Amino acid sequence: MLDDVIKAYNEAVLDTDRTRALQIVSDAVAQGVSPEDIVFNVVIPGLDLMVKALSEGFDTNLAQHFMTSQIAANVTEKMLESFQSPPEIIGHVVIGSAVGDLHTLGKRIVIGCLKAQMIEVIDLGVNVPAERFVSEALAHNAQVIGVSAMMVHTARGENGAIKVRRLLQEQGLEHKIKLVVGGAPFRYDPELYKVVQADAWAENGVSALKVIMDCIQEVKNNDHEHG
Amino acid sequence: MTTSMDRLAAAANGKIIDHIPVFCNLLDQGARELGLSIEDYFSKGEHVAEAQIKMQKKFGHDNVWSLFYVGKEAELFGCKKICYATDGPPNVEDYIIQNYADIECLQVPDDLSAHPKFAETAKCLQILKREVGGKVPICAYLTASMSLPAILMGMENWMELLMIGPVEVRDLLLEKCSDFFRKEIEAYRNAGADILVYADPYGSTDIIPMKLFKDLSLKWMKRDLEPGGLNGVVYYVGGARLNSVADEVIREVGIHAYYPGPLDDVTESMRIINGRALCAGVINDIKLLDWTPGQVREEVRRIVQGGLQVNNKFFFGTVVMPYGIPEENIKAMILAAKEFGRTTDG
Ligand code: B12
Repeated sequence: MLDDVIKAYNEAVLDTDRTRALQIVSDAVAQGVSPEDIVFNVVIPGLDLMVKALSEGFDTNLAQHFMTSQIAANVTEKMLESFQSPPEIIGHVVIGSAVGDLHTLGKRIVIGCLKAQMIEVIDLGVNVPAERFVSEALAHNAQVIGVSAMMVHTARGENGAIKVRRLLQEQGLEHKIKLVVGGAPFRYDPELYKVVQADAWAENGVSALKVIMDCIQEVKNNDHEHG
Repeated sequence: MTTSMDRLAAAANGKIIDHIPVFCNLLDQGARELGLSIEDYFSKGEHVAEAQIKMQKKFGHDNVWSLFYVGKEAELFGCKKICYATDGPPNVEDYIIQNYADIECLQVPDDLSAHPKFAETAKCLQILKREVGGKVPICAYLTASMSLPAILMGMENWMELLMIGPVEVRDLLLEKCSDFFRKEIEAYRNAGADILVYADPYGSTDIIPMKLFKDLSLKWMKRDLEPGGLNGVVYYVGGARLNSVADEVIREVGIHAYYPGPLDDVTESMRIINGRALCAGVINDIKLLDWTPGQVREEVRRIVQGGLQVNNKFFFGTVVMPYGIPEENIKAMILAAKEFGRTTDG
């Protein structure tokens, strides 16, 4: 039964049909599927499947990433209200647009995917100075700083991700906080994340989820080693 | 002597006179050329015209631009705040549509040619026309009705309205944007623009699903372009990929020139278009920041030969060239495009 729900839900998501996806979920709940099952055995495996398909070259568009993330976040939020006990938070992420950059859609998509995976995200908004990325990451015990930049000068600029890296270095935080970047310039130049000294980048919102989860895991492993 | 205009006309007929037309989209670079800050530079039409002409003489490409920055279109609609950078393009900072009620109140300016925010553009066009008119194609940039909402309300809010918002609000906004477009293209034509770049990222299946493209993008494209006709219009999807929709646009709308994205396979673009229209081979200009002149030359060779292997209805182009590209790479690119874009058969 759950398999059918997963299949129908995924199809609706890829069709960018939010109404149908939500209907499938509420029908399943009405038939006795628990909210926990919906999140952990429908929504999250759905995202995993998409990550896998993308890594195998499956072609998607921006609207699909937007809808995948919105539906996943909507469903999760709704289901969480009726969880028996609060779920375990996997990690913390602060995300924002680089200094001088006012674009918001990229981070919104990434945030939706992360939330559905029980990662707590703090949205720092747009035009975020490097210092703020670092201080907020510390204040929220974040394992990952996400910087979104839609133009070349905000992606590569000396006050953007590069400065975040410098601050992390200067403050000896590199084993505790990973730097992940994304946005159009990184898609046109897959080597660019190295130029700005980020630990990782992602081509789209759904892949960002996997990349960020890996970074969180790495920091947690470092934590164990360090103490 | 062969002019850039002659080259373009020849290309449209599948001929090469001396070399293929080489389009080079230098915008913010004009500020550096005149030794001005980007903000000062864009405050005057005279600056833009002067720098465009200077850069065209210096680099020897085949087009000049009347575009300052895309956010100007939002200014025509009443946007009051533009965010200037010292090393990149200006961006819209305040969105005139904050909620759906604002769409209801949105006023399409009556007479664009007389609009104060159009005055500097008109001045720029007037100078370009006087100095290089009829010799060098003068380009204008116009955002399609399906894509214009992105700078009136932000990409995020537009995506949300488009995908899950009320249909009647979406359509009202599209209608206003389309009304605006029709006036805008007329104003640009009257002011002397030859090449009208129809910018429509929401006409690419990188951005929206094919179904939405067929149901909406095509419909609004037809409405936008219907009164003024297709003369000089180039279909440009904002640097996104074009190949999946090119055939449909040719058959349904009939535009005569196409500008694929740098991530499209150029030979495939040319095969799809198959001589029915002019097509550009477009370089990934973000890479021009780091490539060596030798690498630039190789990449231009790959693109130009990849296009000309299908037929000669072909020209070379860039997307929106980042400010920081070294001049030696711009020169290497243009030189190579001319070298590899020569006719082999006479
Ligand atoms: C749509 C579009 C437009 C529209 C809307 C712009 C707007 N308001 O945002 C229009 C036509 C109006 C436009 C105008 C301009 N544009 Co434009 N535009 C695009 C286009 C096609 C998509 C950009 C976009 O918003 N995508 C939405 C985001 C969310 O999509 P995405 O990048 O796929 O996001 C995914 C990943 O990047 C990732 N991600 C994003 N953030 C993050 C963060 C983290 C941490 C991680 C892990 C992942 C991640 O996940 C996302 C979701 O899947 C791109 C080309 C392209 N194909 O990308 C050019 C592009 C961004 N534009 C560009 C430019 C230059 C401009 C202008 C500045 C031109 C000018 N001189 O005026 C103007 C600016 C207008 C303004 N804002 O004032 C350039 C930028 C590169 C450069 N040269 O600097 C591009 C790349 C085109 C190009 N190759 O030249 N544009």
